[in-house]
Amino acid sequence: MATANNTVHDRVEQARVELTPTQLAVGLALVAALGFALLFVQEPMVHDSMHNFRHAAGITCH
Amino acid sequence: MLAAYLKRGVKAGVVAGLVFGLLVALVANPLVAFADELGHGDGHAVGDQHAAEEHHEGSGGEQHDSAVSMTVTNGVSIVSGVLWGVLLGGAVFGIAYYFLEPAIPGTGGTKSYLLAVAGFVTVSGAPWLVLPPQPPGVEQSLPTDLRMGLYGGMMVVGALVCSLAGFVHGRLRDTHGRTTAAIVAMLPFCLLAIPAVLSPANAVESSLPSELASGLTGMIVFGQAVLWLLLAGTHARLRRRSVDTRSPEGATAPADRAPTAD
Repeated sequence: MATANNTVHDRVEQARVELTPTQLAVGLALVAALGFALLFVQEPMVHDSMHNFRHAAGITCH
Repeated sequence: MLAAYLKRGVKAGVVAGLVFGLLVALVANPLVAFADELGHGDGHAVGDQHAAEEHHEGSGGEQHDSAVSMTVTNGVSIVSGVLWGVLLGGAVFGIAYYFLEPAIPGTGGTKSYLLAVAGFVTVSGAPWLVLPPQPPGVEQSLPTDLRMGLYGGMMVVGALVCSLAGFVHGRLRDTHGRTTAAIVAMLPFCLLAIPAVLSPANAVESSLPSELASGLTGMIVFGQAVLWLLLAGTHARLRRRSVDTRSPEGATAPADRAPTAD
């Protein structure tokens, strides 16, 4: 989609206009939570249930 | 506009995630379970993975020193595989693509594939230089906390190197031409060798036959490569379609439309 905003800076500016801080916070929190849960949580129940996935994805594990 | 980008990224993520989930279900689950048994060296037969087990989660024991039953592990692993695709699609092809699109070299679908390469290097490739993917049942010499730190650190390094490559390409394209820019942009990736050499060695000890271990490693690398390829392919296709049909989200500001197609 070719709009006038053609630098990274413009994109950041446009996002700042379009998004409310709440939306931004919720989005970041979702991504961070999902990423952390999938990659780094070591709690035994969680870790062992995702055991096969973590090996399949080549993520460092126990 | 960001919403449209995010939607496209998540769609690509769902497609790639479902395929990766299928790979986990059909290949990784049985293979990892088998290697686990072999690696831990106990004579237990691997329990049947029938649905009947679902009601006996607590009575585990099929899997060596696991806190949950194998059915749970298999199920959660498949779901995690799908979520992994959705996360990468949303974060990389939704959010990151929206912000970085003007800076990524190439036009049209090429951007998607280049972003996929950058994503693979960031999320998997760079960390693997320090901590190669390990088959299950392997004793690793470095403590888990340190390894997680190293993995996270190398993800940051990978992202920096990819950004540097994109930056270099952007600076050189106008002055020195496309080919020179592309070649010079490859050089930052050599920087990845520095942390790979400097990081503490992670000695591994495995009782698995080396053929099985290398097969597992190959499966892991192949799985991630396919995941990124699918993400890029689906994303490029969705993007082309939305440009063709001028989706309502994309046409919100027709007056802003610049003649330069990207």
